[in-house]
Order: sequence, then structure tokens, then C-alpha cells
Amino acid sequence: MRVWSKALIGGVAVALTVAGCAGSGSSSSSSGTTTAPPAGPRTITVWLMNGSAPTTLTDELNKEFQDSHKDVTVKYEIQQWNGIQDKLTTALASNNPPDVIEIGNTQAPKFASDGVLEDVTANVNDFNGANWLASLKASGQWDGKQYAVPFYAANREILYRKDLFEQAGITAPPTSRQEWLDAIGKLKAKFGSDPNFQALYLPGQNWYTLLSFIYDEGGDIAKQDGKKFTGSLETPEVKAALDFYKQLVDVSGTKAPKDADEQTPEQAGIFGQGKVAMMVALPWEVATAAKSDPTIKDKTSGFPIPSKTAGQTAPVFQGGSDLAIPGNSKNKDLAREYLKLITSDKYQAQFAKAGMIPGTSKDVSALQADPVNAAMAKASPNGKSTPATPGWATIEAGQNPIKDMLTAYLTGAKTFEQATKDADDALNKAFSS
Amino acid sequence: MTSTVDTARSAGTPPPAARPGVRRRARRSLSDLATPYLMLGPAVLVMLALLCWPAVQVLFISFRKLDLGELVRGEVKWVGFDNYKNVLTDPDFWVISLRTAVFTVVLVASTLLIGLGIAVLMRHLAGWVRVVLQVCLVLAWATPIVATTTIFQWMFDQNYGILNKTLVKLGFDSYQGYSWFSTGTSTLTVIGILIVWQAVPFIAFTLYAGLIGTPKDLYEAAAIDGANGWSAFRAVSWPSVRPLLMLTTFLSVLWDFRAFTQVWAIRQGGPDGKSTTLPVLLYLKGIAGSHFGVSAAVAVLMLVILVAVTWRYVRLLVRSPETEL
Repeated sequence: MRVWSKALIGGVAVALTVAGCAGSGSSSSSSGTTTAPPAGPRTITVWLMNGSAPTTLTDELNKEFQDSHKDVTVKYEIQQWNGIQDKLTTALASNNPPDVIEIGNTQAPKFASDGVLEDVTANVNDFNGANWLASLKASGQWDGKQYAVPFYAANREILYRKDLFEQAGITAPPTSRQEWLDAIGKLKAKFGSDPNFQALYLPGQNWYTLLSFIYDEGGDIAKQDGKKFTGSLETPEVKAALDFYKQLVDVSGTKAPKDADEQTPEQAGIFGQGKVAMMVALPWEVATAAKSDPTIKDKTSGFPIPSKTAGQTAPVFQGGSDLAIPGNSKNKDLAREYLKLITSDKYQAQFAKAGMIPGTSKDVSALQADPVNAAMAKASPNGKSTPATPGWATIEAGQNPIKDMLTAYLTGAKTFEQATKDADDALNKAFSS
Repeated sequence: MTSTVDTARSAGTPPPAARPGVRRRARRSLSDLATPYLMLGPAVLVMLALLCWPAVQVLFISFRKLDLGELVRGEVKWVGFDNYKNVLTDPDFWVISLRTAVFTVVLVASTLLIGLGIAVLMRHLAGWVRVVLQVCLVLAWATPIVATTTIFQWMFDQNYGILNKTLVKLGFDSYQGYSWFSTGTSTLTVIGILIVWQAVPFIAFTLYAGLIGTPKDLYEAAAIDGANGWSAFRAVSWPSVRPLLMLTTFLSVLWDFRAFTQVWAIRQGGPDGKSTTLPVLLYLKGIAGSHFGVSAAVAVLMLVILVAVTWRYVRLLVRSPETEL
């Protein structure tokens, strides 16, 4: 009886182990195969993200692609940002991955460095290479090779209430840091008696704004040496940037929490309540604010974050998306042609029309029609991305030392030296993991 | 029945060859003996496949280098104890482990004390008051974790939170714009309150069930013998809730040790990683960093810690006849 039960359990265990080995071994055979394009009808699977390319664009694009490629069907699927990292990981590991994918520019280095994307260095010129947006180009590079192609981007600007500016006697939007501070002073003089009024809404952890100031001072958050990145926050440039941020917080008397970012609570919602004159935001946050008060849309305009050099705009952090071909794709030839089409001027112009900065075209004229979009476009040539290292993924996932540094410095919990050293240590740890 | 036999066979147990001569008797008794096991077979297989198999996989993965690249290319790279070395030589791991252990102990102790207190209270409360309390408990318990977490975030918000506003109204002016999430301890305290708040109802109801299971005449007998409230609790209530208390302690340790959602949702383990617990570390290494091998090693180490902590309880639960549940 005992022997029986032991034999049974032993047998099951052996069976499971064998099955497991077989399971993990079998998938290895699929890698590295270069298949000749099969004859007959083919399907190319394209994954774009929710809210990225407008439907009018994709409909036209997919139709043109199908018309010019006989027997080819485009299987176009819209993905949700929520949980996309896991979904992409699973999809890339499968035998039948999508052929064209859209990835966030801060995720791109991780995928590029792990060698799961097709090297497209040789095709850069086919994809409108001369007009690429510098920040997105950098995000798709790893070890001197190009793995991802710029798609579209956006950057922050200062959204402001035209009516409040007018009432406070501010005639033109600020074009220097000093004018920006002066505008805050005038707004406070006019509306300061209202305890709920905020000349500028600036939460303690809006690190994208800090990045802008750091770039403007000539600094950066990390130095690159080949594949190696090192945190570079313990510098006078970062000190100057942090001090200006602190000055803005102090002078404006913003009621935003010092220990949270612009999402908690969502700043557009607070802007929409009508008691905020300015916020550093993305153009489409106007629409979010208008959900609370539809009249706010007509009262709001934008200007680029001013530089410390009067008359210039400050460099900005650019968030956006890249396009890439998964290494396991069975239709790399079609994928390349699809990328060629989507990166052409014709379709890139439609991105500008939709209010985004095109990734492979320098033509931003379509953004000029709307003053909010025009302000973004004005600053866009001077855009930067976060360090193109796979280690950034952990920071992106939530534990961002730059946010902690900001809160610690603004609240006085740490000195500048201590705050930046802790943040540099944390960055270096993330980069080396 | 046929399917049962098939499953058992496919699992690799050929029926042993019967000896000649005693063939008839042996076969009959063998099949008699085997029948219960064959009937158990499918259930055992399902359990092995769903419970043991993933655990075994994690153990295997913890000895492999498995990053995004290896996963996508389907490579199997054995690296021996490298992942464990990587984790164990990181001083942060020890700090995080200790933090997680202390956090769990404090949480389990407070959950059980409050739960027991409410259970005793419920037994003494009359009619509708008890119903109101029970409805409140059920509501607190039934609210989704993320919803409760969001409410707590708002309550403890620096400028818009009801807590700071109330404290200022009460005259504690230093709480104007006070940040509850500026240090790890303070952040973990808020998270702790949140978790305890959600865990207490279940514990209270379980213990309450034990209390009302106690025959009334035992209390009457105790009262005749001149027992006051405290000694009646010790002599009558305590023995009846003790086995349940043991079970709930065990469950609470498991739940609180693994708590991830609340910790992550409140501050992603910040500030400066000072509220990072082991499950958060697991997430950061595995999902965020795509180092699935290292992450599996953390998971195995967590299991080791958990077994070490709960070993006594497991043994007591398995052995003691009074905890037959």
C-alpha cells in the first residue's frame, strides 16, 4: 500500500519534471530562424496603443498598405497602456508575435538592450531618418545600433488662464524666468485675497518640470559612457535647477502637495475648478480640465517653459512612443515596408494635426493653428528623453529617486548634498541592476 | 472510471506484474487496494498541476538567468546560486526582510487584538446595535482593496486630506500641510492601519463564531461560581476561541506577509524605498526590472522565511486534534 502511493507520487513527479524540461526546451528552436517570405496570402499584425494614432490616420494607412501589397491583410489591433509591459513580454516570447509594435520611449531601452527587437540600423534612411526627433532617436538606440524608430512625442508647457492674466494686467506671456516670476507676483497682487487662489499649481514631485530646469542649466540626470550610465545630480547645475523650483513653489504659494506628483490629485481637475492661473502640463490636459468647467477651454492658452536666457525656451523632457519590429516576427519584410509608410511625411503630418509632435518629420506647421499646441511645438526641437538605459525601467515602474529628492529638498528634510547623493546612489543602483 | 485509470497510468505508474499462482487473489486484492488511490488520482493530479507545479517552476527559475532576452528567445541558462548570491549580498535585502517581518508581526498582533475585542463586544451587544456593527464590518470587508486604498490616500493627503483638516480644527496647528508620507515608518503606519482595517472584519466574525458556539450554561455555571467578566472570559471563552485564534493567526501571517497592493498603491515603496517590503522588492526585480531569475530567488527566500515563521503553527494545526476544521 505504501509502495503504491510512493510509486504514484514518484511517477507524477518524474512526469512533471520531464514535461517541464520539454516545455522550456522546445521554444528555443524557434529563435534565429530566417524564413523566406512565404507565397500566398499573408497577414501583418500591427499593435498600436490606445489614444496614439487617430483612427482616420490608421484607416487610410492600412488601406493604402493593403492596396499596394497584393494578398496582404493588415491585422490592426489597439492595445491598452495598462499592463502593456506584461502583454508585450508575453507576446514577444510567443512564436507568433505581432510584426509592428508601439513602445513607450522610456520602455524602449529595456527591449533594445535585451536583444528582442530587430536591428533597423540599415533602414534608418528608408524611415525618413534625416528628420527624426532627437530625443526619440536616442531612446531607440543601444550600443550604437538603432532598434526602435521614433513615432510621435509630446512635451510640457505652461498652460495659463488668459482672462486672469488680463485682469492682473499681464499683457504678454512671459518669455524669461524673471517675467514668469513677475507674472506670479502680479497675479498674487490681484487675486491673493482669495485663499483658494493659486498663481501656479506646482506639486513637489513634478519632476518633468525639474528636468527642464536641469537641462536649461546645462546639466542632466545621468552621464553616458558607452553602455554605462552614472547619476549626475551632485552638480551645481542641478543645485541651480532645484533652487529655481523651490523659488517657484515659495513665491507662488502653491497649495499642491510637496510629497506627490501632478497625478495625485490630478492637476487638471484642480485647474478646472477655476482658481489656478497656471500649471505645467501637457496640451491635452486642457480637455481634462474642461470636463469640470467647459468654459475653461476658451479661457486657456499656453506658453513654453521660459529659459534662464531671456527670450529662449527651456529644453524639455519629451515623452512619446517608438515603433519597433519584434525579433521573432515572421513578416519582417512587410513590417519594414509598413514602417516606411507610417514614417512618411504624409502620415506624420496627420500626427501634427492631431496635436502631437511627429517623430520622423520636422514639419510642425499643423500644430500652429491652436495656441496651446503651438507653444508645445515651439519648445519641441529642444527635447530630451530619460537616460536610454534598461535600468530606467525600475525607476519608471514607481520608485523614482528624483521625486524623493525633490520632496526632501523642498521640505528641508535633507540638505542639497544629502538629497542629491541619495538620489545618485539610487539611480546608480537601478542602472547597474 | 476509465478516465481515472488512464490518468493514473499516464502519470507513470504501470500496474505491477502479478505473480503466477496467486494471480486471482493477488489481482483482486491489488485492485481493491488501488481503487481508493485511483479515485484520488484526478484530484491529486489537479492539485499537483495547479499548486505544486508553479512552485517547482519558481524553484527552477531561481537557478536560471532569465531576463527578457532569455525569455523571448526561450534560452535556458543555468547559473547555480548566482541569483541567491545577488540577493543575499545586497544589504538592502536584509533591511527589507527585517522591515517586512516587523511589519507583519505588528499587523498580525493588532489585527487579532482588535478582532478579538470586537468579537467579544459583539457577543455582549444587544440586538440592533450588534446588527449595525456587523453591517459596518461587512461593508468594510466587502469594499474592494483599491477603493479603500484610494480613500485612505485622500484621507491622509497633505493639503486636501480630512485628517489634517480635522486636526487643525481641533487646534493642532502643526498638522497644517503635514506630510504623512515623508518617512518610511510613517508611511508604513498608514499602510498598516489600512491593512488592519480591511483584515479585522474577517477575524472578528471568525472569532465571534467561536464565541457564540460556547454553550450559555457554561457562563451561567461560571457566574454561579462567582466568576467576574475577566475570569469568565479566561475560563469559558478562551478555550473555545483558542483553536480559531490559532488558525486566524496563521492566516493573518500569510496574508500580511504577502501584502502588496496596499503597499504599492500608497507610495510604491517610497519615500527613498523606505516602505519597500519583500513583495514590493519581488515586483521591482521581476516585473519592473525583468530579472525573473532574481525575482524567483526572492520568492523562494520569502517562502523559506514564511515556513520558518509559521512552522510551529503548521505543526500545531496538523497535529492538535482540537483544531479539526
